[in-house]
Amino acid sequence: MIALKTEDLTRYFGGLAALNGVSIEIRENEILGIIGPNGAGKTTLINVIAGIYLPTRGRVLFGDQDITELPAHTRCRLGIGRTFQLVRPLSDLSLVENVMVGALFGQGIGKREAREKALEICAFMGIADVQRDVTRLTALEVKKMEIAHALATQPQILFLDEMMAGLNTDETMEVIGLVQKIHSNGITIVVIEHVMRVIRELTQRAIVLDWGEVIAEGPYEEVSSNPQVISAYLGEEA
Amino acid sequence: MRYWRYLVYAFAAIVVAVIPFYAGVYILNVTNLILFYITLALTWDMLLRSGQISFGTAGFCGVGGYTAAILFIHTGMNPLLSILLGGLFAGILALILGLIVLQLREMYFAIVTLALGGIFLVIVRNLSDLTGGPEGLALSSAIFGGDSTKTYWLVLALAIATVILSIVFQRTRIHFAVTSIRDDEIVARSSGINVFRYLVFLFVVTSFMQGLAGGVFTHMYGFVSPEGSFSMDFILLPMAMTLLGGMYTTWGPVIGAILLGVVAEYLKLQIPYGHLFVYGIIIIVAILFFPRGIVGAIGQRLKTGRE
Repeated sequence: MIALKTEDLTRYFGGLAALNGVSIEIRENEILGIIGPNGAGKTTLINVIAGIYLPTRGRVLFGDQDITELPAHTRCRLGIGRTFQLVRPLSDLSLVENVMVGALFGQGIGKREAREKALEICAFMGIADVQRDVTRLTALEVKKMEIAHALATQPQILFLDEMMAGLNTDETMEVIGLVQKIHSNGITIVVIEHVMRVIRELTQRAIVLDWGEVIAEGPYEEVSSNPQVISAYLGEEA
Repeated sequence: MRYWRYLVYAFAAIVVAVIPFYAGVYILNVTNLILFYITLALTWDMLLRSGQISFGTAGFCGVGGYTAAILFIHTGMNPLLSILLGGLFAGILALILGLIVLQLREMYFAIVTLALGGIFLVIVRNLSDLTGGPEGLALSSAIFGGDSTKTYWLVLALAIATVILSIVFQRTRIHFAVTSIRDDEIVARSSGINVFRYLVFLFVVTSFMQGLAGGVFTHMYGFVSPEGSFSMDFILLPMAMTLLGGMYTTWGPVIGAILLGVVAEYLKLQIPYGHLFVYGIIIIVAILFFPRGIVGAIGQRLKTGRE
């Protein structure tokens, strides 16, 4: 079963094609990796799928539904959850309130119920001391909170944009464990990553983007030995 | 801690209830003006909580005032009904304009609201048959025959209604939506918040309240005029009051309005026109030393004290 697919997805910024004819399929219940060098269009792809940008051309299908023109908040309510590459905590709300926002509006439930959900999710994510001010959290805690926030919207597909950036090895392992735990609860996961090791540990399948185009697709071993991928990462030999 | 809070509320309630029995007409008139400004400052803050700075308070206040005056003069309807209709007209106007203007954000939104106020003013000045042009319109009498005590209860009711509305907005899901929009609109949208709908809702509700305030102001003094009803004071004073008292809170704008209202009255007697200069200094000092105003600074102290 296909959870979400894009057809010929293209997005220009001025004359630059950040995405160019990207057609991908995300299968239900998989962990899909999306990799590629800086500026390959990974984050743009998420933003177009989540509805932050509209595509210049192409379609986004969520199950059977064409969601290309839907606003971001509607896509969130349908079941598309995401985190951000640069962490964006809501600084005037406490930790648990940040998570609550996801439940309140993503699921459309009341305040009391949303707080219970948020506490439940924080416990699941191993987040303690939930009344804290979010400006005083460590990098790892902010990332966990952002995943919790996205989870609170009750997504069917969760897009994680470079979750490991800025984390050390132990912390990375902890987040990998959490992602596996979330996946085992039946949520389809798309991991956008820079760190190849994360893709190797987590994903069954990876898609490689370069200059806004898909240049390779397949299991990690296959993709990582693809000469085109290697040259995209390391540059052409002079 | 909770205990103290209720004592303060009880004290405030008693003061509010006994003022009309002990204060003279002069004090009562000053109090009425302060209560009017509480509505403007608080509604201005209610929109500010979403990150949108409006310069439209005077515009909607003036529209409400003129609507109330025109309806009252031409139909002789109950003044209270004319005030309500003035508020409704301001709200409907805000709905129509908000659907267009709220595609813009922050600085762009602020500039457009400033322009809107200017446009209302020009229309009113030139539509002489209806609005009396530059001279404005005089009502046959001020509301309640100019009885300051009765007027007091009316403005007080308006101020209390605004405070209740603000508290409701702070305690329900509206608070979470509005704060998220202010902190990070992209995150808000990605969390399922219909940002545009919330902003239009806030704009309409606050404009409705400002229209009501304008209607009350008009009936309080018994006349409308372009410069008086769209006064720059209705833009700058609510801002100064909110910044001094503490933005993003219910009690900040209330305290700011009381303090600046009293100070303004005193200064007007001591240095006529110099009071504007003093407002400027107060705003600068508040922004530099208490970015979240008096209430924000006290709240911070209590919070760190507890930790």
